[in-house]
Amino acid sequence: MGRVTVSPDPFTLIAYDAAEIAAIVADAAAAAGVEPGVDIDLEVDEELFAPLIGHTSDVVDGRVKLWISGGNLEDNRRPRHFSAEQSRRDFTIALLRAKDRLSEDFASAPPDGQLSRGERAAWDVYAVGRGFRLGLAVRRQAILYEFRLQHGFTDVADAAFERLWQADRMNWEGIREICKETGAADRGDSKIPVDLLRQK
Amino acid sequence: MKKFLAENELARDERFVRTKIEDRIFDPRGPKIALRNTGPARMGVDRPAAGERSRSLMHGIFVGEIQALEGAGRTCFDFDDDSAPFQLKLDMARQCWDESRHCEISVKLGDHMGTEIGEYTESTFLFAAACNPDPVLRLCGVNRALEGLAIDVFNSMKDFGDESGDPILEFCEDWMLADEVTHVKMGSDWLRRLTEKDPERRERALEFQRTVDAIFNLGGFRGEDDENPVQLARNFRRLAGFTDEENDSLAKLARQSTEEARDMAAMATAALDASAQGGGS
Repeated sequence: MGRVTVSPDPFTLIAYDAAEIAAIVADAAAAAGVEPGVDIDLEVDEELFAPLIGHTSDVVDGRVKLWISGGNLEDNRRPRHFSAEQSRRDFTIALLRAKDRLSEDFASAPPDGQLSRGERAAWDVYAVGRGFRLGLAVRRQAILYEFRLQHGFTDVADAAFERLWQADRMNWEGIREICKETGAADRGDSKIPVDLLRQK
Repeated sequence: MKKFLAENELARDERFVRTKIEDRIFDPRGPKIALRNTGPARMGVDRPAAGERSRSLMHGIFVGEIQALEGAGRTCFDFDDDSAPFQLKLDMARQCWDESRHCEISVKLGDHMGTEIGEYTESTFLFAAACNPDPVLRLCGVNRALEGLAIDVFNSMKDFGDESGDPILEFCEDWMLADEVTHVKMGSDWLRRLTEKDPERRERALEFQRTVDAIFNLGGFRGEDDENPVQLARNFRRLAGFTDEENDSLAKLARQSTEEARDMAAMATAALDASAQGGGS
């Protein structure tokens, strides 16, 4: 496995342990099938807490660059406490998308900060569906709700969700096709940047 | 059966986890976030973490409904007929029926959004408003302040359902909103009737309501700007018996809460930064 770096180290606002997080990321990368030898840089925004959650997965010069809200690592039922299970789930999903980016299938996909909300929601369903089959404790209905918010509460959107959820292989063009099918591609641009939480 | 149940004695099963409002207030991350642009607080599908924010709020509504049910139920039982007329208790019994239905609707909306009961923590400060030993003050706290907040929250959620094209959320919130208007109207009517010959008691009750309203503004949670997640629903409040003067006063109070929260966040962040740099005393 390549090197995993975590920042910040140490955490100052919340009692998270960078070494523990790095170990979970390494395990998640193996579970997601990221090629051994790929380096991973993780940035945790420790100021953010639930419900201000989110994560991004990019690849720069062959290195995986992950960003995640501290809220994703926080136990909902015990605020300010680290949840290893929740972290493992979200890192595996983020790394499934990173693995996509490392493949030819998603070579033409723009960075996460430039994806539309519809594209991101569709890609997430594809990743979470695979995560579910890997045994992650994910909630299908919550992902369906996220997808519907961006693709509509319609039968067409639900059928597209089903295809994404079941897919073992998908590419960037497939994601874009689904956005056209549901009408998400026709939604006007928002003034709110898709990666606003990342911007300090 | 015990009368005047304290908030820490509310019965819950093992799924529920209770948290204190202070835990959030004294979280060192709070002031940092308050000064950051995390997008409009007003609900919308294009704001960051839109799904998670609406799920979390929906769960908050659900536990709020349980506490409203408990509050109305306690009012049926806590007072004798001299201090609270039987007709008032009948109204409260009807309200219990409504709140029970709201609990069930909220659970189903949680299912629809992919949330489990107890997924988020519960704060019982809403029930605290239902603990006043004077039935008139309690009615003002619960039926005018708490249920007034419910009007604002449901109207905001209904608008979000409309905007996101989610008919289930939109219609469910609309139906519950209709009940909340009735509950506030009951509070307004009983306040007038019970204090008809006692203006001093009426003023005490209204003062208590203002205190509860100030707490429910929650440092900018409710207001009339984009930075307030829950919008003041003036029209529905008017239908429920609030005067324009009362609505203006509440809007002013909400603006003050937002500004105070902003100032406190700035001060807390400065203190945290100074402490981190070793300059704290």
